[in-house]
Amino acid sequence: MKNRFSFLCLLAVLAAGTGNSAPAVNREAEALAVLSNSAAELKDKARACQTLADFGGAKSIAALSALLADEKLGDYARSGLESMADPGAGAALRRALGKLSGRQIAGAINSLGVRRDTAAVSDLRKLALANSPDSAPAAVTALGLIGNADAAQSLQAVLENGPAELRLPAAHASIVAAEQLAKGGNAAAARKLLETSMKAVPSGPSAEAARRAVASLPKR
Amino acid sequence: MKLSRRRFLRNSALALGVPTVIPGSALGLNGAVAPSNRIVVGGIGLGPRGREVLKGFLSQSDVQFVMIADVQKTRREVIRVMVNRQYNNQDCAETRDMFEVLGRKDIDAVVIATGDRWHAVLSILAAKAGKDIYCEKPCSMTVRESQELADAVNRYGRVFQAGTQRRNVDNFQFAAGLARGGKLGRIHTVHAGILQLEESHNWLPAETEPGLDVCDWDRWLGPAPWRPYNKEYVNGRWRGYYDFHGGAALPEWGAHTVDLCQWGASADATTPVEYEAEGQTIHARYANGVKLVMRRAGFKGEGNWVAPGTCPVRFEGDEGWVEAADSGKVAVSNPKLLEGGTPAPMAGTDPSKHVRDFLDCVKSRAKPAANADVTRRGHIVSHVAAIGWRLGRKVNFDPVSETFRDDVEANRMCSRARRAPWHA
Repeated sequence: MKNRFSFLCLLAVLAAGTGNSAPAVNREAEALAVLSNSAAELKDKARACQTLADFGGAKSIAALSALLADEKLGDYARSGLESMADPGAGAALRRALGKLSGRQIAGAINSLGVRRDTAAVSDLRKLALANSPDSAPAAVTALGLIGNADAAQSLQAVLENGPAELRLPAAHASIVAAEQLAKGGNAAAARKLLETSMKAVPSGPSAEAARRAVASLPKR
Repeated sequence: MKLSRRRFLRNSALALGVPTVIPGSALGLNGAVAPSNRIVVGGIGLGPRGREVLKGFLSQSDVQFVMIADVQKTRREVIRVMVNRQYNNQDCAETRDMFEVLGRKDIDAVVIATGDRWHAVLSILAAKAGKDIYCEKPCSMTVRESQELADAVNRYGRVFQAGTQRRNVDNFQFAAGLARGGKLGRIHTVHAGILQLEESHNWLPAETEPGLDVCDWDRWLGPAPWRPYNKEYVNGRWRGYYDFHGGAALPEWGAHTVDLCQWGASADATTPVEYEAEGQTIHARYANGVKLVMRRAGFKGEGNWVAPGTCPVRFEGDEGWVEAADSGKVAVSNPKLLEGGTPAPMAGTDPSKHVRDFLDCVKSRAKPAANADVTRRGHIVSHVAAIGWRLGRKVNFDPVSETFRDDVEANRMCSRARRAPWHA
């Protein structure tokens, strides 16, 4: 009875949510307690994951990773890893790539892109070139978001040698990557990527955007 | 766009060897606008508000609305009947799949009036598909989405108009004109009326999902995380839920009123740098010292406002003040401020001039009043304010980097993971 009462109190605290200035470490502990409680309802676990997306740290990684494959909770759990600065969150997402499928792998890939996880580039390149419909389009987009020199080379490979159906997503991703490269002072790499993109997809919105982007780069 | 259609009509007639008798409407005679000069429009997710916006489009002679996409069959049918009645034909196409609208090469622009969770993703997908975009507000769920949307619009050179419409409504224009034109002296405080801040994580009781032909629940959810179906959500009662309604519901009116305050304070190129909530009121301050107060208003006249109506704003300078709201009226500190003439009465919710502004910009490629850059910053202000309220403490924001200063917790709240596969 005491345990159930304590659990209900935890749920009330999590549900209160807004304007709650309890320390983050307390909120993390409370949310982890919900996730480890087999009697907790689905919606309470979802809420706990969202609390960890705001306040979770390294201690939350294992619990969140364990839920990545869950059809209903996977996206909630992933939100915690996506937002977490700790490099362990990125490592957890990368490890999950070999275990997930369907929407769950696409989600994990997207989160790696949002994190700009440079350590994921080689995995993403392999996934893009393997051309699984579950993962290849997301991998290409994530490479665009990461946008470093390695990601740009991976996109070049997709544009030049990859499956035809990936050329258009890769062209769009290349424009995003080129923006990152240009911001980082690497206009030459940006230009090369954009030119490859225009060669692979010579017309349409991506080509027009690439032409505009080339025009905005510093003159050679 | 225009020349190829004209040439197509003529060449087709010649190729077929038929006498080139072309209807007067096709040539733009008798007041009709030739098809080659019409903007072809498709719609995605047009519910009650979307229908009001659609009326604004259908009333324009240079618009041809051709297709509606909606995950709910009944809503598709309502739009189809509305459009067909307008054009006196049966030509409006309907589909469950929004990608059919985005994939049609003849469609120049899309009107997006889905729930908020879809607005940024759909706008970005539309930009990638080469469409110009009129998107209902709030246009984003988070700070990051506000950035992504504006970046995509600029990247693809699209025309974007947020469905905030009040920058094209007479009394709000008048009020902003007084503020920006120095008639109130130096502006020191601007006030934005907002609804009650709320975020519910509750789930309604699960109901059996209907067939796809009735409502595609998976597609309705889109980028929002999964929860069980309940018809109340799809019948319009999704507001107030954290997963469907970003920024603690602040952008619900803040998309309008904060935007107007940005305009009135001549602050479109920046955002406030400090935010602190005091209950349901959020006090913000720009780097130049001007204050933005986001405070309670409501459908029943809640809050201490003078101008009657919803979405009130107030601009205060050291020589006077003005208030405006959706009633179409203004209230001023001194009747002399009205000596140049009072604004024509026009409801704040009337989209007609805003739609016209958008259409003119589709043709000219100029930026409309509520363009992506203005919308980016106005929405960021609302989301940042909500984050401070959620954390229950003062937050400091850098308008250049668009990040919170030295605040890991607040920065984490700038973004949410989207349910796969809805990355954009």
